[in-house]
Amino acid sequence: MSTEPKPGGSLGVAMKRKEDPRFIQGKGRYVDDISLPGMLHLAIVRSPYPHAGITSIDISEAMRVPGVRAVITGKDLEAAGLGWLPTFHGFDKQMVLAIGKVLFQYQEVAAVFAESRGAAADGAEAVHVEYAPLPVVTDPFAARTDQVILRPDREKKTNHIYHWEVGDKDATARALRTSPRRISQRIWFQRCHPAPLEPCGCVAQFDAMGRLQFYVTSQAPHVYRTALAIVTGIAEDKIHVISPDIGGGFGNKVPVYPGYVCAIVGALKLGRPVKWIESRTENLTSTGFARDYHMDVEIGATDDGRMTALHVATTADHGAFDAAADPTKYPAGMFGIVTGSYDVPAAHAEVDAYFTNKAPGGIAYRCSFRVTEASYAIERAMDILADELRMDPVEVRRKNFVRKDQFPYQSRLGFTYDSGDYQKALDVALEKIGYKELLKEQTAKRLRGELMGIGFSTFTEVVGAGPSKHFDILGIKMFDSAEIRIHPTGAGIVRTGTKSQGQGHETTWAQIVAEELGLDPQNIMVEEGDTDTAPYGLGTYASRSTPVAGGAIAMAARRVREKAKKVAAHLLEVGEADVEWQDYKFQVKGVPAKSVTMKEVAFAAYTNMSQNEPGLEASYYYDPPNMTFPSGCYVAVVDVDRETGEVKVRRFLAVDDCGIIINPLIVEGQIHGGLTEGFAIAFMQEIQYDSDGNNLNTNFTDYLLPTSLETPHWETAKVTTPSPHHPIGAKGVGESPNVGSPAAFVNAVIDALSPLGVRHLDMPITRDKVWRAIRAAEAKTALA
Amino acid sequence: MARHPSGGSEDGTGVNLQYSGEEKIAVGPGVVWAFVTDPGKVGRCMPEVKEVAVQDQTHVDAVVQVAVGPVRGKFKLKVELLPDASGRRIDMKISGGGFGSAVDMTAGADVVDAGDGTTLLKWSGQAIARGPVAAVGGRVLDAQAKKLIEQAFANVRRELSAPMVDQA
Repeated sequence: MSTEPKPGGSLGVAMKRKEDPRFIQGKGRYVDDISLPGMLHLAIVRSPYPHAGITSIDISEAMRVPGVRAVITGKDLEAAGLGWLPTFHGFDKQMVLAIGKVLFQYQEVAAVFAESRGAAADGAEAVHVEYAPLPVVTDPFAARTDQVILRPDREKKTNHIYHWEVGDKDATARALRTSPRRISQRIWFQRCHPAPLEPCGCVAQFDAMGRLQFYVTSQAPHVYRTALAIVTGIAEDKIHVISPDIGGGFGNKVPVYPGYVCAIVGALKLGRPVKWIESRTENLTSTGFARDYHMDVEIGATDDGRMTALHVATTADHGAFDAAADPTKYPAGMFGIVTGSYDVPAAHAEVDAYFTNKAPGGIAYRCSFRVTEASYAIERAMDILADELRMDPVEVRRKNFVRKDQFPYQSRLGFTYDSGDYQKALDVALEKIGYKELLKEQTAKRLRGELMGIGFSTFTEVVGAGPSKHFDILGIKMFDSAEIRIHPTGAGIVRTGTKSQGQGHETTWAQIVAEELGLDPQNIMVEEGDTDTAPYGLGTYASRSTPVAGGAIAMAARRVREKAKKVAAHLLEVGEADVEWQDYKFQVKGVPAKSVTMKEVAFAAYTNMSQNEPGLEASYYYDPPNMTFPSGCYVAVVDVDRETGEVKVRRFLAVDDCGIIINPLIVEGQIHGGLTEGFAIAFMQEIQYDSDGNNLNTNFTDYLLPTSLETPHWETAKVTTPSPHHPIGAKGVGESPNVGSPAAFVNAVIDALSPLGVRHLDMPITRDKVWRAIRAAEAKTALA
Repeated sequence: MARHPSGGSEDGTGVNLQYSGEEKIAVGPGVVWAFVTDPGKVGRCMPEVKEVAVQDQTHVDAVVQVAVGPVRGKFKLKVELLPDASGRRIDMKISGGGFGSAVDMTAGADVVDAGDGTTLLKWSGQAIARGPVAAVGGRVLDAQAKKLIEQAFANVRRELSAPMVDQA
């Protein structure tokens, strides 16, 4: 399979994004742009307490606020059988509005409907709620003791949600015991938040026939339709979900949130459309957070650096409800990828999750489910192992890589890696970054007392959920779909079950269709997000669009081609068996001069089809045979100011292997975006709670997004090992840079600090954290 | 007057606030005691108070205007007076909130006879603020809370001083 575009082809062409003229002219149409006649606005009353009984709710003053039309509480919803909604993981439920007590600060307590957004906000402020504070548990390790049971509504009277494990526990324990060398480290991937620039929102209305039209910022519109049918009891044919343009999702717009249910209830109760647009604070404090995994990593190794065993025991903080949105059989997602790019002879991973008085979530923030946590753990631990063995981290990695000839590779934790060439990616990275020169420079600087670090991350992720035999959400198998219709003039439309939030589907999907059918991608329209027109699909998250929907598009296009072949045979006046698809056109076998283009065939399909069925369209529901396994080698070079603790990322190189590239321009953009988010996580971002359960990062002055001033310059390169099972060999790339980069950044900082004896720091690596580490190390040296 | 950072997050960015101070009041301790155990009078000493509704001898509800940084609105507060049998110490519990925020305060004051016809009111208090008032107003909360609590006890002094001026 070639990795370069073919003449006349569309695959691998750096085509500018078709959707961008709309966006850069401010002509995108987002949920908040939708205004319907008679529309009311919803504001939500939220709890200032992280754990408290609700003594009373007084709505009388709120109802006197001019413009307020209704206020509903948890008791109202409970009476209507809508008090709770199932989380996507399927084993827990979440209060829509608090019933009896609140479990986290900013939890939804009451919903106020008013004529304007301002009146709704005024009404919300006038709802008086009396609370009786209860003991607060913010630490999952404290939750483990069950001294305070947070969820007495559950059958099991414990804060423990689940235990999950994979691998051979006994063999791993034995191998660790007998390993000549051993390292162990608790590695915390802090609680962070996807913080899409457009927060969540919706507009709900019931039309004259009683059918719900629901405009919503959803990454998975079809799943929403089904979930809403389950929650509300409305028949699924009476629900029409429309996701218009979305300003970033990153996993945050996968779950169904209480505000959506309230908007629908309000629209039904009041007989008028209802809009709910959350504020930045509401987004950061109540919608799906990410990570918050405390990972105890142990590696056994030989004296010369060969890994003998890996054990990872994780304590997961899920907040007040188990709303992690993982596939049913995988409560800890794909955490089994924690062996990474390494051929470990024995491995065992286990995760125990707990409730705490924090916002619920645990969503896949720009990664496949829990893959970033796993990747960070193993890539940090590899550096700690190298430090322990006094070896170059590059050599320790190289020594343990899964070799190219081992693919398809069966990992000890259950995955079958499709393809990869880790050695090559590392070699490309070392050459491009100039590793030998950097090492010389570092040696010289260390002699002068300067702190310079080089950090590597040679990660493998698992994406593209997924094969129906393993993966489902709420029982719905995780296939995806495409429907293609070619018009008489050779233009066409493709509809899929996915939903772009900035990934560039309008361009890449068109390129796949154009490549398969020899058409102009500029004239292939892409439509997603409307459940009345798009085929059923599971949506866009966990890097599944290209691996799954991309496969569906290619396969649907091939079905179109099969049908077109019959028409081509008629036009070429030969039997179908004598027609072949060559160089983006149909030709008579062995007679290239006798050919017809797809455009000509399309016209004939409507005008001169002979005995063939008129029209030219097909659909395909693609159930992938396996996941895909993108990988990469990332290198960060940092300088640390010894006096101030400031870290400057001098260089960052990302070498990615995402299989066959559909559009290199979009891939480059995806990598830049993901690296910037990874940079923010590594150095800036954490959702912190104090011991009283107060959320301390409720806005963008306390939860930082990097601007162009802070963001380093990104260098990129690629290696390509096509996925052998994907119809076009693609693996997906949108999430690799977020998965792979945090470890490279942190490894570089720790490498810089290693002459001082610093072995590990948890993210975010803030200036003050580095400064304190340096001062502590110097104090220790002075004492010695 | 001093603020003692306490509780909250590990790095001291929490929103638990503690304050202490004293007011010298130009009347004897008996007059001060009668004032600080009167829920109506105590209620009216709250800064920016809009409404006071005495519930009984030890309980008063009050509505106060709150402005912490960009966060502005009304707080509904419930105040409970807890006078000590000794007649020399009064404690108070104040709780309530508004516009999605909440505050829980405890305050106490020793009524000390200065021996010269005046009284020292030695007070201390701590507050936990939650919600937007703590989060959005976090950077100015400390200074604002300090100002408000100082003003409350200064109001006690002023209220008690005013009748004496009249009598003179």
